[in-house]
Formats: sequence, C-alpha cells, structure tokens
Amino acid sequence: MSVVEAALDLSVIVGDWRNTNPAAGIDRIVCEAGDDGLTIHCSSGVRDWGKVAAGVFAFEFDSGQAGAFSAVYDLGFEEVRVQANVKQGVLVVVTLNAFKDGSGRSNYFNREFFYRS
Amino acid sequence: MEILREFERIDLPGPRPRVGVELMAGRWTKTNDKTQWIGGLDVRVDGDDLLVRVAGGGAGPSPADWGIVRTTTVYAGWLTSGDATAGAFVAKYALPDADVELQANLNLGLLVVATYVRFREPGPYANRFTREFFRRDV
Repeated sequence: MSVVEAALDLSVIVGDWRNTNPAAGIDRIVCEAGDDGLTIHCSSGVRDWGKVAAGVFAFEFDSGQAGAFSAVYDLGFEEVRVQANVKQGVLVVVTLNAFKDGSGRSNYFNREFFYRS
Repeated sequence: MEILREFERIDLPGPRPRVGVELMAGRWTKTNDKTQWIGGLDVRVDGDDLLVRVAGGGAGPSPADWGIVRTTTVYAGWLTSGDATAGAFVAKYALPDADVELQANLNLGLLVVATYVRFREPGPYANRFTREFFRRDV
C-alpha cells in the first residue's frame, strides 16, 4: 500500500457484497481493510478465487474517500483484472478475463452488479 | 478444463479467435461539454493490437498529450468468439507524476473509459478513479 492510498477512507468499499444476479459469474466479493490496505476475496459457485490485495482510488483528486478499487487475480490458466466502483450503493464490477491455457476461449469483458449483504 | 465460473466450461478448440479490434478503433470525442480528465482518444489498429493516443481534457494534472501506447490486452465481448461489439481494451500510461491503467469498453456505440490513476509520490492529489464517455467522431 502506498502512502497516497493509506490516506483514503475505505468505509464505502469494505463489506460483504453479493451478486444481484444469481446466474452470474462471481457470487460474492468480500472487501476487508487491514494493515496492508484493502484485500478482496472473490468466489463463484465453482471456485474460491482466494484473497488478493487491491489498490484503492477516490472519485475526486481532492477527496479522502475511496470509492473504487482495482486488483488482479492470476490463477495460472487465467488472469482476471477486477475493477470496481461503488455507485449509489451498488458495487459495479468489471472483469477483464484473459485465458493463458491455450484453449479456444476468447479473452472477454464482463460487468456484474453487487449489493451489500 | 479449468474454470473460474460455470459459464467458462465451454470446450472450444484452440487457437482462440482473433479479437475484432477494428470496432474499437477511431477518433473518440468526449460527450460532456465540461472539462474532464480525458478530452479524446485516437485509437488505431496495429495488427492484433491497438495503438492508443490520449488527449488530456484539462482537469487536474492531465497532460495535454499523453502520448501513444500499445494496448496490453484486448478483449472480446464474450468468451465464445472474437466479436468486439461489446469488447474492451487495457492500456497503461506512465505520466510525469502518475501511473495510469486505462480500461475502455464499447457500450451501445459509446466508448466508456475508466482510468485508475496512481501517484508515485504523496502530494496534493488522491489516487483517483475516473469514468468518462466518448462518442465516435465521424
């Protein structure tokens, strides 16, 4: 965590977020604040993705409130960039998914929405 | 086959199809009359990648010309084809004071551009997320 990131309030982001669409890809994202900054823990119905560190970002250059985060999962066969921001109480999550396993699956963009449980 | 989500369980023989990056190329102009972080983008095809030039929009420490970078990754709209009608790309910039990850995606003909701005040293600005909209300049 950088000194710049340490100054941001994480309260808008921290929480247990559930997908608004039960048929979507990621079921749950748990965002936690710790000594080393924000961590996120994603899980789907088929896999626990584990925890990774996330960078945090404000909506304004002069704000002390974090409203967005960015993290990268590298699971070997697939790399997922998770980029999210809280808008009107909803966590809007973009994933940029790149396969590295030689399968014919295309790298793909996806967006999902989460509510705080 | 390894998957992260159930819908990734699709047996498609490799190699993966080329992403149709041409749909994301063009000159893109901001939809908002007000000053913003990015004023416009010039996106050109270079093989299977894109070359992205960003013009600053006058807000905050946004340089007038961010220069040209190659996309780090291009993405289709879904994993079963290379169709980029709802595709996206990621590009990374090293600006004078900040590192920026730029993520752009096509949505209903607009280019939606998010940036994650991370300053290298403490200063007057917070690390910032931006999300701005651009129309194709015809």
